[in-house]
Amino acid sequence: MKRDRALLAQGKKPEWDKRVGDKPREKICLALSLVALFLLLGAGTAGAQGPAPSAEYRVFLGMDSRLAVWIVSQLHLMFAAFVLAVPMFALVIELIGWRSKERRFDLLAHEMARLLPPAYSITAILGATLAFLLFTLYPRFMGYLADIFGPTMVIYPLFFLGETFCLYFYYYSWHRLQGNLKWAHLLLGLALNIFGTAVMFIANTWATFMMTPNGVDAAGNLISLNNAIWNLAWMPLNIHRLIANITLGALLAGAYAAYRFLTVERAEERAFYDWMGYTGNLIALFTMLFLPFAGYYFGFELFSFSATYGVTLMGGVLSWLFIIQAIVVAVLFIGAAYYAWLGLLRIPGSEPQRRWTPAFNTILIVGFMIWATPHTMAASIEESTGGFHPVLGALGVMAPKMIAVTLILVVLYASYLLYRRAGRVITVSWKDVGNAIQWGVLALTALAIIALGVYGYFAPSEVRITTSILQIVVLIAGILFTFILDVFLLRGSQAVGVVRWGTMPRRGQYVLIVLSYVIVWLMGLMGYARSAARLNWHVFGILEDTSPGAGLPSLGEVAVIVTIITLIFFLLLAISFAISAFMGRSLVSEVESQTEEEHQ
Amino acid sequence: MRADPARRPRFNLPSPVGAFLILAGAFILLKLIQPVIPGSVILLYMAFVIAGILIHITLDDGRLKRFGDFFIGAEGEGAATRAQRWGLLLVVPLALGWWAYEATRPSYAPPVEIFQRHPTAGEEILGRIKVPEWVATPAKWSPQAIAEGKALYRGNCAVCHGDNLDGEGPAAEGFRYPIRPANFRDSGTIAQLTLPYVYWRLTVGGIQNQFSSAMPAWVAPADAANATTLHTYDLTPDEAWKVIIYLYKTTGFEPRKE
Repeated sequence: MKRDRALLAQGKKPEWDKRVGDKPREKICLALSLVALFLLLGAGTAGAQGPAPSAEYRVFLGMDSRLAVWIVSQLHLMFAAFVLAVPMFALVIELIGWRSKERRFDLLAHEMARLLPPAYSITAILGATLAFLLFTLYPRFMGYLADIFGPTMVIYPLFFLGETFCLYFYYYSWHRLQGNLKWAHLLLGLALNIFGTAVMFIANTWATFMMTPNGVDAAGNLISLNNAIWNLAWMPLNIHRLIANITLGALLAGAYAAYRFLTVERAEERAFYDWMGYTGNLIALFTMLFLPFAGYYFGFELFSFSATYGVTLMGGVLSWLFIIQAIVVAVLFIGAAYYAWLGLLRIPGSEPQRRWTPAFNTILIVGFMIWATPHTMAASIEESTGGFHPVLGALGVMAPKMIAVTLILVVLYASYLLYRRAGRVITVSWKDVGNAIQWGVLALTALAIIALGVYGYFAPSEVRITTSILQIVVLIAGILFTFILDVFLLRGSQAVGVVRWGTMPRRGQYVLIVLSYVIVWLMGLMGYARSAARLNWHVFGILEDTSPGAGLPSLGEVAVIVTIITLIFFLLLAISFAISAFMGRSLVSEVESQTEEEHQ
Repeated sequence: MRADPARRPRFNLPSPVGAFLILAGAFILLKLIQPVIPGSVILLYMAFVIAGILIHITLDDGRLKRFGDFFIGAEGEGAATRAQRWGLLLVVPLALGWWAYEATRPSYAPPVEIFQRHPTAGEEILGRIKVPEWVATPAKWSPQAIAEGKALYRGNCAVCHGDNLDGEGPAAEGFRYPIRPANFRDSGTIAQLTLPYVYWRLTVGGIQNQFSSAMPAWVAPADAANATTLHTYDLTPDEAWKVIIYLYKTTGFEPRKE
């Protein structure tokens, strides 16, 4: 602000006044966005009108229809997840900055929001392409969906329009709406999040109706639109996607920060991007704590809709996919925990906390070994014990896996508690009692989780589901209690030294980049699993898929296609980030001006 | 009187040697478990152990440096350290070479099979199987139906699945690969399944449907299209349901609700 005032005094434009539309790349970006918006609105309106289908299926330019829709829809979902998630934590970080008056938070939120405009344009272009492909290649199916969901398909573009306006205003008005007008900017961010979430919720009704159709009779005729929307899987998928989107967005923002950390030359910038990467990883780690449970909730509702889903997903054709998922999730958790432990190196006086990492590492590794243990093992004829192993087979069922994953979450949370107190001296008079209660409660939580799991192992499946829910309740209660205690324990604590941002080893940055790749690949895999679980149905049990591509590909083919999707996604994201990097003022000057202000 | 820590003889195992010993120990432990653990699972476990070791070494700059320095060597180092270095540099490539040789050596064994425990049945199949009223609710299972189911089971199924329903019948060992007869007392079999699914599995079998299982199709009646094939046996629908409720009643499990 001082800098701006000085410029005004010299008769020059302040920095913020030069930004919007001043650069050719920004104009390109805006033009791209408008094209994408019109494309999507056009496609959406075409769908809402419900085309009179002249054929069940069409082929376009000889392409494999299913493959084309698979790739485009997955790419669209990934970009949509990113542009939905980034405004969420950008808004929260901006709010923290506004309340605490620490400018670095505002800079961070702005840096994250900077990634949005080009990514949003690509999302819209992919969405329009997907709508075009679906209505062209699957006219009967899309005609049916339009018959059921016509009103929502009319509302959808309106919400999309609202999201578009809010997003561009949110980013481009950042510097104009500062100071006394900051509240208006925050409101804009809130509206952006509301519109974005609504857009996702509407699209989710269509996707979940295909899985757990409701509000229709046996022949598929609409009885109640309200019931069709509120189908069994809708809310679980909304919750699961909402959380997973934040994890994805945070890790992608973290990867962006890691790339910038590795390439910038100035120490101030490196410090900033180190902090940005840390924040991204912290958000991802926090949201990942809830993801397994959101996944279980989603699976639980699918099972309750039809037992066929249970068999298909866990025992049948997709069961080996979930072993791969378990391994990939393990990589994700271990990587995020590794980055967090490595972060202790930048905190002077964190030696007492670092002593715990070998024990935590061991629990994490053993826990994930159990989690990834298959119930039915892939064995050669010499090794075969007939499908399951009498010793290890016992680890391959739900109860031990729930113990393992819940204890892993306890360890990750304990790591966070240690990180909070790294390099700090607790000064409250009751610190010994407080510490004993805190770690005692955490130990009791772990013991209760193990006891419930062992009981559930020997109980019937209905009881086992109840004990697994109780395990989650115990975990959440333990976390809540100990965290509240921690807030009071650390009140008035003194820092031994300042966190040395920018000193994170380079290997930590590579971990962030790998994590972003892993989550995108995992998202692709699970996107396939969700869709493949319907088997040969467009709408499960109501509208059968009779097209030539109705069968499921082999797991190997799935892995190859998911990898190709991931690579295309990163190529598009790299282009999007490159445009972002050219937008607005260089961060160096922002950081410098911040440093100047701090010194003054 | 406490000994001076500085004078206490300390045995410092170089971290690469420690890492190797942990790896070798984990591998031997997994190999010692009987019945043998399939190679695919050992590979999975060892990958996690390697990840754990890598994390431990790279979490500390000093530790990482010492790990690398061990392979470079330093002036004045003892003969024991030198021997450990050369030992590792010899043993690790040899072990990797042996592993590569084993993996590529021609073998006449059939390829490792990824087996699906419960083959997928479409909704269009399971949805058509109607559960009789006297079967649908466990409270309505009559002792007479269960007794008849027991007799049918003993006569037709126990030879593979065992008198105790534990998959240990006299003929079970003959069907070891890729899957042995189901152990109904295991919580991963009928306890996880719905009545229509178990009925479908019983009446459809495994061989004809490429489910890689030796389970015959217990399908009735004689005029069914596949009733004359080698692995088709007669069991009327009512008889099949009686066998199923006998399985649930005896194991204490309840069918999974739809």
